[in-house]
Amino acid sequence: MKKRILCLLLACVLTLMVIGPVFAEGKTIVYWSMWSASEPQAIAIAEAVKAYEAASGNTVDLQFKGRTGMREGLQPALDAGTVIDLFDEDIDRVNVAWGNYLLDLEDLAKATDYEATAISGLIAAAREVAGGTLKSIPYQPFVYTMFYNQEIFAEAGIESVPTTWEEFLAACEKIKAAGYIPFTTDDAYVMTNFGYHLARYGGQDLVIDVVTNGNWAETPEVLKVAQDYEDLYNKGYLSSTFGTAAWPTNQNGEFALGDVAMYLNGSWLPNEVRGITGPDFQWGAFAYPTVPGGTDGLDAGNFGGQVYGINKNTEVAEEAFEIIRTVTKGEYDLKLSVESVGIPADTTNTEWPAALAAVKEVMANLAVRYEWSAGSENNPNMTPIIKENFQKLCTGNLTAQGFVDAMEAASN
Amino acid sequence: MKRNKTMIIVFLTPALVLFCAIFVYPILRTIVMSLFKVENITSGIAQWQYVGFQNYKSLATTSLFKTSLLNLLRIWAIGGMVVMSLGLLFAVILNSGIRFKNFFRAVIYMPNIISAVALATMWIQFVYNPRFGLLTSTFKLLGMDSLAAINWTDTTHKFWALLFAYCFGMVGYHMLIFSSGIEKIPQELFEASTIDGASKVQQFRLITFPLLRSVLKTNITMWSITSVAFFVWSQLFSMVTADTQTITPMVYMYLQVFGAGNVISERNAGLGAAVGVFLGLCVVIVFVLTNRLIKNEDLEF
Repeated sequence: MKKRILCLLLACVLTLMVIGPVFAEGKTIVYWSMWSASEPQAIAIAEAVKAYEAASGNTVDLQFKGRTGMREGLQPALDAGTVIDLFDEDIDRVNVAWGNYLLDLEDLAKATDYEATAISGLIAAAREVAGGTLKSIPYQPFVYTMFYNQEIFAEAGIESVPTTWEEFLAACEKIKAAGYIPFTTDDAYVMTNFGYHLARYGGQDLVIDVVTNGNWAETPEVLKVAQDYEDLYNKGYLSSTFGTAAWPTNQNGEFALGDVAMYLNGSWLPNEVRGITGPDFQWGAFAYPTVPGGTDGLDAGNFGGQVYGINKNTEVAEEAFEIIRTVTKGEYDLKLSVESVGIPADTTNTEWPAALAAVKEVMANLAVRYEWSAGSENNPNMTPIIKENFQKLCTGNLTAQGFVDAMEAASN
Repeated sequence: MKRNKTMIIVFLTPALVLFCAIFVYPILRTIVMSLFKVENITSGIAQWQYVGFQNYKSLATTSLFKTSLLNLLRIWAIGGMVVMSLGLLFAVILNSGIRFKNFFRAVIYMPNIISAVALATMWIQFVYNPRFGLLTSTFKLLGMDSLAAINWTDTTHKFWALLFAYCFGMVGYHMLIFSSGIEKIPQELFEASTIDGASKVQQFRLITFPLLRSVLKTNITMWSITSVAFFVWSQLFSMVTADTQTITPMVYMYLQVFGAGNVISERNAGLGAAVGVFLGLCVVIVFVLTNRLIKNEDLEF
């Protein structure tokens, strides 16, 4: 008897499973996200998606794949015909590497007047990387900037943030005199120091030309960069593990714990170290200083964000765009900003997290967009070699001329 | 016994089909792919662009790939010697009748059941940390300031820091294989040699080691395969951007197939396939050489 009842129940369950979707209301949107499920961004996005489901009656199949999962898995999955309606990742990767899979969003954006409350610089950047049309919607904006510890600056008697290299050196001297280490970074980000500095001298195109064509000795600005960082080392302004500590050793250690005053990094830094700094850390930020005779000013820098892309083969484009609007506008954009200590994408959310207050001014002044590390990592066959020699330069194991010679030799 | 050919075919066919689909086809496809420029690993064959041996020529002239090969060679040779020596030593000690054998064996094997991510994080953030790492703190406590000041992850020390951490985790695995080989050797051989007056060292040199030749071959082959696939530890010691001290051919292959971490770089799955073919050949050569150089013992026991 028991067996019969069990068989009957099993048959009912199977029947429901088979015919259930036929009678289910609403549509299903498949969304692959670059975040890991435990990250604050993922938690906020999951809440926004739930709100969308409740309001629309549709179902969202939200899958957090993580960065590596997206990088390795999205394109093969799309090629294999897997249904993925909506996905997010870095602005350059979505538009350049996966550009062929994207739906043009101009009409959807116009229909909902999306741009009225979006950051115009970011939308322009999204159009630029997509070749002039809007194929992605930015959220979680970031800006790469020089972060500093305001308490150390105050203690050292620095009244205004440095804008030129001369002022930067003067600030470093004061910080050192106050008993702190002026400047640090980790191995993961040391290339951005090189890229930014060279770009300040000759612009991003010069950086890309040097790293891709190997014009190290032929480009006098390279020697100037090396001399400036050699000078920083010789004067004792750099951490003894500048650029050589395995990430996140120095950002979590000497910077977050208050031994070092400055760290060049993206606006995600306060979120990454908030468990160490606590809420009382006094965050400051300024644009990477200009250099004598350089071409680029404080209005040039790396900024961007994560972006949303919609599969061009989707059958639920409007629904997917509505999810984008839910996440990137109003309540949930603010929640995302608060939870992840990030910059809001909606311009009506004027209240930024306190740790990023100083970043607001840096971002407002940006007009020229650098690629990641100002293009200094654009030749992957050379990046590890540049990194090694720059690390040696910054730790006193190579002179400025030695750096240029080593790079020239490596590029031949 | 009469053979039923039909039954043989019926039972063998599924296995053969699966073997061809899962092993033979991917190998052949990879070899063919290595002669093409392929932007994406899942691009259709119609999108492949024939380049002949250009991918191999490109590898031969790229200094970063050569650096990665040198790193692999150092991991295989130096790490191999350390791991095999320690694994064998521990296996011999554990089988010499010491007390708490199972406890010590479990302790030495333990790193193998911990995730490589957790292990590498422990080494980088706890042992090698320049501010409050185990090494720095210990050397400071002992008054050895010059050693305490070493940054174990800088360009001079990073490779050795990585290799040490990796070997630490691998010793237990190979110890276990050696140990199982030693346990198979009949106890009477040791008893007879003890009566004849052989010391422990002589027993190891004249009985244990010669009878472990086939186990040693297995261990060398296993070590070669895991070394060639060296990837996760390298990635964990150089997060975000690759590093000359930690890059291996597998990392180089990954960069070519999936692009660099932060920037959108040109991808070529064909070049990645060429790396794969080259590494496959390396393993085959090591396997053949090992079989030639280490003869199987004629003894039966």
